[in-house]
Amino acid sequence: MDRNIETKTTGISPKNPPSTESSKEPAGPKGQSGIRVEGLSKIFGSGDSEVRVLEDASLEVKKGEFAALVAPSGAGKTTLLMMLGCVTEPTAGKIWLGDELVWDEDHWSIPDTRRIRREKIGFIFQAHYLIPFLNIIENVKLIPLSNGWEDRKAEAKAMELLEYFDIADKRDAMPSQLSGGQNQRAAIARALSNEPQIILADEPTAALDMTRAVNVVKLLRQIVEEQNVAIIMVTHDERLLPYCDKILAIENRKVVTKTQVPKGFV
Amino acid sequence: MISLAYKDIRHSLLKFLITAMGVGMLLGIVLIMIGVYRGMVTDAQVLLDDIGAQEWIVQQGTLGPFAESSRIHEDLKETLRAQLGIDCTAALAFLNLQVRTPSGKMKRVYSVGYDPHGLISAINPQRLVAGRPLRRSHYEIVVSKKLGFSLGDKIRLGRNIYTVVGITKGAVSSGGDPVIYLSLKDAQNLQFLYSNARIRNDRARGLKVDADNHLVNAVVATLRPGVDPEKVAARIRRWKHLSVYTAAQQRDILTKNVIETAAKQIGMFTVILVAVSSIIIALIIYTMTLEKIKEISIMKLVGLPNLTITKMIMQETLVLGILAFIFGNLFAHAIWDKFPKRVVLEIPDAWDLFGIVIVASILSSLFGVYKAIKADPRAAIGG
Repeated sequence: MDRNIETKTTGISPKNPPSTESSKEPAGPKGQSGIRVEGLSKIFGSGDSEVRVLEDASLEVKKGEFAALVAPSGAGKTTLLMMLGCVTEPTAGKIWLGDELVWDEDHWSIPDTRRIRREKIGFIFQAHYLIPFLNIIENVKLIPLSNGWEDRKAEAKAMELLEYFDIADKRDAMPSQLSGGQNQRAAIARALSNEPQIILADEPTAALDMTRAVNVVKLLRQIVEEQNVAIIMVTHDERLLPYCDKILAIENRKVVTKTQVPKGFV
Repeated sequence: MISLAYKDIRHSLLKFLITAMGVGMLLGIVLIMIGVYRGMVTDAQVLLDDIGAQEWIVQQGTLGPFAESSRIHEDLKETLRAQLGIDCTAALAFLNLQVRTPSGKMKRVYSVGYDPHGLISAINPQRLVAGRPLRRSHYEIVVSKKLGFSLGDKIRLGRNIYTVVGITKGAVSSGGDPVIYLSLKDAQNLQFLYSNARIRNDRARGLKVDADNHLVNAVVATLRPGVDPEKVAARIRRWKHLSVYTAAQQRDILTKNVIETAAKQIGMFTVILVAVSSIIIALIIYTMTLEKIKEISIMKLVGLPNLTITKMIMQETLVLGILAFIFGNLFAHAIWDKFPKRVVLEIPDAWDLFGIVIVASILSSLFGVYKAIKADPRAAIGG
């Protein structure tokens, strides 16, 4: 895996990496489990219309690890991501986020899945999906404010992230006034605003050209190293795989770790 | 916490304001409808208040003179004046007529005939905006400003020509028609000797043609201080075989018997309009929620609590309702005087409507809230 990433050439290289001082729960030392899944299954429908997406799948992504999730279209990448994000209920298995067991065979073992998403997970999507009626800084500080942060603290965190992503001067701009790349960086800033332990990225570079896509992935790589979070990124782009620590692939409804991706697999 | 409702409204301010104006116009019509009803009640009492009598004596067994036809002899005013407790009496004649206005249009008017030399005048001096009340027993007329006549104008009614000596403002009948005032003798003439052709015809039939039949529609009376109107009325009913109504009873007859059906009709319209306004607010909020369903899904996906989203929808609905109410009031106050009949806009009615709008808005927002709560966070990413 190519680890020689020239962040200085990205144009979005960090000036001041965002601090984690305000984190309620420190990300913890590298090597600790970020996401762990055991025997996960997901079946849609029943009887003749039953569709088995995942069967007895297991995986682990540690904190400080950047994993790519690859599979042909329709194999269940997004479904897996949604289960890890506490959005879709699995049919069976167990999911741990950090040390916390969140799904236990047939039920959520936490009372409020939304709170987990708000406090522990950062989401990045193919499109930026910023709230169009909020300006950039409001978009970024929305989740911390929902977590009960004081406005001043949320504002400071948001500004820190916007400076980190070189879009601090766009703080009062509306998403419609920014370019695709700037919006995607704002979306990543939003995903980091709650100081998550896990980032789930669903094809975050699909809407970007190659140069910008590489910049975004380098940025994620940098976040993994500096903030010690676990990232799972769904991608179809083989060229981005060298920036990841491991490659997870869905094969025969199971998640397997690959060192090399077969040609035409993604 | 960021006010999502405020941010969303500000983001699409023009659209929001236009929507509020649209709903506001509907609420304005509701206010006007209530005002029309209030106007009918006010109109119904104008003549009653202007004449200021405490007793209305009419033909036995009738609800006259406004709700039912009534004819009694004019000389009853003399007999009644001798009754214990009565101060003054006057005979009155009422008649619906068509008058050709200076613009050439025929207009329905309500004529009131009274004795210009009597002790009770039918004209409220405060309503006189030009000229004077009647002074002569014949051929003078006081008209409403609405008819467009000027002082000194000549008006032909029946067989005679009358000179405008006074102009009033705001004097209307219970039906909202402008009132004209004639002497009692002229009013009797108009009732019984309206045209020469009719007189000739009646004579050919061998009928007695006589304007001096001294019939009137009602005799009114004022009482001495401290006298109970109900007791006086009871005494007249018993000994004179007449129907007698106190001012309060006559007011009841006017509001309940004369305008009741029309009031119910307007009430129905008002209720339907309020219901339609509520449905429209609900539809608007539902549509606004549907337009934001992607954003709502994202909010849910990133973990925003339902309460935050519900608050946004409810606050937007309330702001829409309040803005619509303000626009509705402005609209109603801008157009109320363009209506041909009296429209009375009262503050308590506006507050009642405000309460209804707030309740309707909250109920309406529940559709949007339901849609938002049901929104699938996976819809944000198309999963």
